[in-house]
Amino acid sequence: MTSALELSGISKSFDGFRAIAAADLDVRSGEVHALLGENGAGKSSLMNIVAGLYAPDEGTIRVQGRPVRIGGPLDARRLGIGMVHQHYKLVKSFSALENILLANPEGGFARGRATIDTALARLADSIGFTVDLTKPVGALSIAEQQRVEILKMLVGGARLLILDEPTAVLTDMEAERLLAMLRHLASEGAAVILVTHKLGDVMRHADRLTVMRNGKTIATATPGTLNAGELTKLVVGTTTTECAAPAQNVGAPVLSLTSVSSGGNGRRETLSDVTLRICSGEIYGLAGVGGNGQTELAEILMGVATAAAGRIMLEETVNITHAAPKTRRAKGLAVIPADRHSYGLASELSIADNYAIGDVYSGKYGGVLRMKSSVAQSAAGVAVAAHDVQGVRSLAHKAALLSGGNAQKLVIAREFAGAPRVILAHSPSRGLDVRAAAAVHARLRSARDGGAGILLISEDLDEILLLADRIGVMNRGRLVAEFAAPADRQAVGEAMVSHG
Amino acid sequence: MAEPIVALDAAMPAPSRRPGRMTVEIRQTSPAGQKILIRGAGLLIGLAISVAILAWAGVGLGNLANEFVYAIFSDSRSVASVLIQMAPLLIAGLAACVAFRVRFWNIGIEGQMIFGSIAATLVAITDFGPPALRLVVMLMAAALGGMGWIFVPVALKLKLGISEVVSTLLLNYVALNFLLHLLYGSWQDPKSSFPHSEQYDAIERLSPLGWENVTLALPLALLLALLLWWALNISRFGFFTRFVHANPKMAKAIGIPVLGVTCAAALLSGALAGVAGFAISAGIEYRMTQSFFFGYGFSGILIAFLARNNPIGVIIVAFFVAILFVAGQSLQVFYQIPGAIVQLIQAIVVISVAAAEFFIRHRLKWTR
Repeated sequence: MTSALELSGISKSFDGFRAIAAADLDVRSGEVHALLGENGAGKSSLMNIVAGLYAPDEGTIRVQGRPVRIGGPLDARRLGIGMVHQHYKLVKSFSALENILLANPEGGFARGRATIDTALARLADSIGFTVDLTKPVGALSIAEQQRVEILKMLVGGARLLILDEPTAVLTDMEAERLLAMLRHLASEGAAVILVTHKLGDVMRHADRLTVMRNGKTIATATPGTLNAGELTKLVVGTTTTECAAPAQNVGAPVLSLTSVSSGGNGRRETLSDVTLRICSGEIYGLAGVGGNGQTELAEILMGVATAAAGRIMLEETVNITHAAPKTRRAKGLAVIPADRHSYGLASELSIADNYAIGDVYSGKYGGVLRMKSSVAQSAAGVAVAAHDVQGVRSLAHKAALLSGGNAQKLVIAREFAGAPRVILAHSPSRGLDVRAAAAVHARLRSARDGGAGILLISEDLDEILLLADRIGVMNRGRLVAEFAAPADRQAVGEAMVSHG
Repeated sequence: MAEPIVALDAAMPAPSRRPGRMTVEIRQTSPAGQKILIRGAGLLIGLAISVAILAWAGVGLGNLANEFVYAIFSDSRSVASVLIQMAPLLIAGLAACVAFRVRFWNIGIEGQMIFGSIAATLVAITDFGPPALRLVVMLMAAALGGMGWIFVPVALKLKLGISEVVSTLLLNYVALNFLLHLLYGSWQDPKSSFPHSEQYDAIERLSPLGWENVTLALPLALLLALLLWWALNISRFGFFTRFVHANPKMAKAIGIPVLGVTCAAALLSGALAGVAGFAISAGIEYRMTQSFFFGYGFSGILIAFLARNNPIGVIIVAFFVAILFVAGQSLQVFYQIPGAIVQLIQAIVVISVAAAEFFIRHRLKWTR
């Protein structure tokens, strides 16, 4: 049987950095093939070469046994290759149908519309998709947008479908449905490449898998022949398994929210009447499907949005409901924001600057009249070393050059520098590989054991169950349930999705 | 679902038979030396295009060298006129620089210059305050005038989210028409009935330094550059502006008073523009004329851009733009080249240097 896609000896360097080194991959028609690896292992880069976004430096690509040169996304499409990127390539203000039409021009606009309409109806029927194609894409949920992307590729005649981290943004249920659909596509003869670092998805749904590490493809196997431990070892090189370590020393409340509501202001996500209390020495895990008020809550706690009602107290005595971020930080609040490059770091500025800004008001790095950049540099150097931030060639380099895990370590180094009393950690391991996530978790635990109270907001239920001493569930802007650890996964999951 | 694979023979021949092609790659980093080289090349290309245009308009290479180098540096009067011209250009460049540091796109430097000059002239013609302090009062009035004129766009932006690009630009025309209203009306020179204000008294002029016609305006401009360098590169305020420039969302979350920093920088920009107007009226023309501001707004933006918003760099760039202004005037007189050539050369240089940025972020590579 000929392979749908065969890559041999593919290499690609970016600015001297070898992202992919002589990678081989063989994907057959009719299979779901998982491509596994840590962040930065080169999975996405390799797939971007197949999709025509990058040109390889070396190596050959064969499609259906024929050597081909993929000079751009258009070539890829002609070869029946379609890729659903991690960040969808959709025009938000266009309807789903228009987006599909845009990617698949068919003669005139009106005729193309009609052609695509019928093709879509047939397609959606055969794979059981339900999406309102007339709605603007921006109004669709993330899962629906993903379906639009998939339809876009299938209408274009894709017989090799690449999905980059498709389940990262989906709930458990949505993910199951997607994976079942991919299986169905494969059974009809298509080839599916699933780029992921979720081992569970791979074990249950992939026919074969290829593991990448440091830009190389190091193994191809069938999931049945490996157990999860062996697979983890292949992916990260060494086995790391984290265990829950419950709190030992829970003290007085350090952060309490009383009936906090957001103004709404016509925004989709609102917060209503949230009351919760976090004590020193514990991790409070706030679980929930994304978009149920977590972002609003985090912004209100950071002080970049204001609560319309309710009261927020630090240490039971300090009312910070209307305090500026500066005051909150001075009183001992530290924040690890969800999006490192939006709230966490000024990516264009140096690593030293990004570190020093956290404690700029103390006068440590010079007074109002004169900043002492050399002092900031050396303090940043010490912190960077203490927190094991890798890839720092110079403290004067832009923070943007750090990889996700190291950027997060830099944020943590800055936020933990002042021995904070309360830590807001919002999706602290999102986008990090197993090892980097474990390092972040260890920092959170040691801060907790040092007496800080931690509010951990995460959409990753595994992370919550692993770390939290108490668990709250957010659903449609409300705190709907609380559990003590160890909590029942099923019960927490139900509270997350129930509509009662 | 059973769409056939597109015929492969038609689509893709084997790789070896293809000719090579140019690909664009993103550079992760660019060493400092390389950046300077690329920007320098952009500058040279811009100048080369300018030379070509001038040559086409009838000014030969030899004549250009004569006008831009020999005529200027061979005689102290010409050097002096460059330095005189440099002072207001430098201050206008500083005005643009401080605003751009917080991403406030102040396109209204000329309008703020007009109101700076109007405020200073008001002090001069009403003989307000003690004579010994008259110049200081005029300077402060000019700063307040410019600041007042930029206050409207600042407030509109912060309160209603109206783009400052549009509001500052359009307020230039309002300022111009108000200036003309004054100069053709109550402030018209009573002695000559020309549309400019009456001449400033001796105590209302920036005094000469004793060398050629260079006045106090130049040391004033240099002092402002130093002060701004301190404010932007040394002080904590300057540190904050870097964060506001790089990521305002993050700056707010980390406790920087983003609103205050932005406001302060924008108002300072207006104040500096006002002082630039004062430097022309009290340092060069000794009265308020109807077109004293012309070209300074764009030049200020250009100077800040080429100096990469660094006040010390502004000093250097302002010097070269001043040469361009002075040489432009003699081209106009001796070769009948329109005065707009100065603007044209500035624009070409800006576009070339801006285009060179592409090569700092990307690399072209020939692949097969």
